[in-house]
Amino acid sequence: MLEIKNLTKVYDDGTVALKNVSFDVQDGEFLVVIGLSGSGKSTLLRCINRLIDPTEGQIIFNGEDVAALPQSDLRHVRRKIGMVFQHFNLVKRSSVLTNVLAGRLGYINPYKSLAGNFPPSIRKRALEVLDHLGIANQAKKRADELSGGQQQRVGIARALMQDPELILADEPVASLDPVLAHSILGTLESLNQETGITVICSLHYLDLVQRYATRVIGLRSGEIVYRGTGKDIRQMTDEEFKDIYGEEAVRVSAGKREE
Amino acid sequence: MSAATKTKEKKPLISPVLSLILSIPVPGLGQLVSGKIRRGLLLIGSFATLAFLYWWRLKAIGHRQTTLIDIFKKALQLNGLFTVLLLIGLAGLYAWILVDAFKQAKKSRPEGTGIFFLILFLFFAVGWQISQIEMGKLTSRFSEAWVPLKKILWPWDAAITYEKDVFEAAAQILVDSDEAPPPVPEQKEGEPYLVANPTYGNLSRLDENNKVIPGSRINLKGSGFKPETLTQIWWADSIGNEFRPRQEGQYVTVITDKDGAFEYDLIMPYRLTPPSAVGLQYHEVMARQIFEKGRALPSEPLILTVDLIIETIFMGMMATFFGIILSIPVSFLAARNLMSSSWITVTIYYVTRTILNIIRSIEPLIWALIAVVWVGLGPFAGIVALTIHSVAALAKLYSEAIENIDPGPIEAIQATGATKLQVIRYAVVPQMIPPFVSFTIYRWDINVRMSTVIGMVGGGGIGFLLVQYIRLLDYKSAGIAVWFIAVTVSILDYVSANIRKRFI
Repeated sequence: MLEIKNLTKVYDDGTVALKNVSFDVQDGEFLVVIGLSGSGKSTLLRCINRLIDPTEGQIIFNGEDVAALPQSDLRHVRRKIGMVFQHFNLVKRSSVLTNVLAGRLGYINPYKSLAGNFPPSIRKRALEVLDHLGIANQAKKRADELSGGQQQRVGIARALMQDPELILADEPVASLDPVLAHSILGTLESLNQETGITVICSLHYLDLVQRYATRVIGLRSGEIVYRGTGKDIRQMTDEEFKDIYGEEAVRVSAGKREE
Repeated sequence: MSAATKTKEKKPLISPVLSLILSIPVPGLGQLVSGKIRRGLLLIGSFATLAFLYWWRLKAIGHRQTTLIDIFKKALQLNGLFTVLLLIGLAGLYAWILVDAFKQAKKSRPEGTGIFFLILFLFFAVGWQISQIEMGKLTSRFSEAWVPLKKILWPWDAAITYEKDVFEAAAQILVDSDEAPPPVPEQKEGEPYLVANPTYGNLSRLDENNKVIPGSRINLKGSGFKPETLTQIWWADSIGNEFRPRQEGQYVTVITDKDGAFEYDLIMPYRLTPPSAVGLQYHEVMARQIFEKGRALPSEPLILTVDLIIETIFMGMMATFFGIILSIPVSFLAARNLMSSSWITVTIYYVTRTILNIIRSIEPLIWALIAVVWVGLGPFAGIVALTIHSVAALAKLYSEAIENIDPGPIEAIQATGATKLQVIRYAVVPQMIPPFVSFTIYRWDINVRMSTVIGMVGGGGIGFLLVQYIRLLDYKSAGIAVWFIAVTVSILDYVSANIRKRFI
């Protein structure tokens, strides 16, 4: 469904964030991107929905080159790609429901939506989505009154309102504790398995990667240095580890006994 | 290793004795040269400033004296405590600085801070003298001040008047002439009656030394008045201006006997006859009984105060309103995050910020002085002044609200496929409204507060009335105005705090 070809991003200040990155994503995959902070994970995800304009290369999403689309046509591509963020990126002072409804903005008449009214069918849908994620009772609250885990669920609900074919999750659990991290990733996984939404997710913890990923790519300084499956991570060699995380990285596998 | 660096740091640049010698002509120079640069500069600066201030105050106290000795003698005589205390203090400081210069140049000597407390104390002493603090006045004059203060604290008996019924009779008097004295008026049954005898005479005058030369004595006989009632004597000049004549500093009043009659010898009051007056000048003397009938009415000061407090609140509101409209566009120019794209916009940003800072640093009261010249006296001048200040203050607050916008939600809403307008509506506006509302209400609060004083320089609102009452020594009416200001401002304070709490 998604094909990245020779993607390169050079920022205005000369920083090379992505170098000639190419990979495919099949329908229904749970692709995890790993790598150090600054390795280009976030840039990569944001290039896919053109929050960042790539310098070179192609991003073919359902047969259409997103990288070549003019700004005015982006709306139709973006609304099929949901996005979940590390810091949730909710409008803190708006209600949970308003935040979720905003996910539908790509579909409704832009001028009608300026008054702040959404059709009843969409409101009903939003409540259903919140209910599905177990936070329907929080709908009227201000977004910043919720706990971190709940806020990330609101973020997922907003993405789901888009009826996405693909969800980009940029370190969705990096600000959450381990229990919540599993819960949020579990939610993404069940969406992935039950509704077939493809997920591209950047993660830091390798135990999470091997638990949830169907496929893994490793980035280092904007280049792909590792390709494998979630299972491969378990057998990852020290060399491969140092390829991704650098020579000085020390590999720890906490709480795991030799069998 | 750490010990080595320590000794290296503490290594003196000059010997203690040299340091001391250097500090003799310039107190603090020794410390400066021995490497304690900040301490040295501070001591040199402080000592020089204090010495100058001391000299300046001595000259002010002992002005008109020419030689140093004479100035000192006169200062000693007029303000001995200050003169001696500061002289000893300065001498002590000088000695302390010399000792300090020696110590600072020695190895591993910890820096003492006591000397700076002495400097602070000396500045405090100079400040006390400069600002002419006399704590004694707080108590010695309190009993005098208590009389007007009492009226301001509880002015409410002046807030109510009663309907009046006036019972009066008048008699004409020919002034400064005896050509054609007016006739004695006819007496009518059931009406009060006043006879003056004679019906002509001289007014009181002022001689070249402004001493009063008493006028003619006129015998007043009244009858037909209400018995045993206080009766006021009034005087009206030839153009009908009424006033109450005084005798020995008191308003002239008489009390009628049980038949409703009275008799009184009135010395004709002082009244300047304008040189343009032509012909015979007939004045009028009146006897007046005033009865306060039952119905209570709000008094004039109360009505005026209410009128003007409403004017004041609306002045604040209008100024805030204009302030919002004008400051929103300016706030975009003053927001760093919006203006950082090129050197032109950065220049605009700095120019805007500078202008706003200058405008804001000038108090609304001063703007009002300018506005009064510009648009004339009245509430509009006050609104102009408050608007100018509000634009500067609000633009700064708004621009900071714009700078503090979280880019996260903008990115998130963009990612949903929203248009630019939708992004503004759903990611930018919700973040800006709360601070905007909060700052605006806060500003309204300030503007109403300011418009209570802006009238003092002619900008309309209640301040004008308050200043007038105080100048007329009408402390009760002033008290009513003060009470209304206090209540209005506290209510507004409470309301605005509550609204703001809800929006943050």
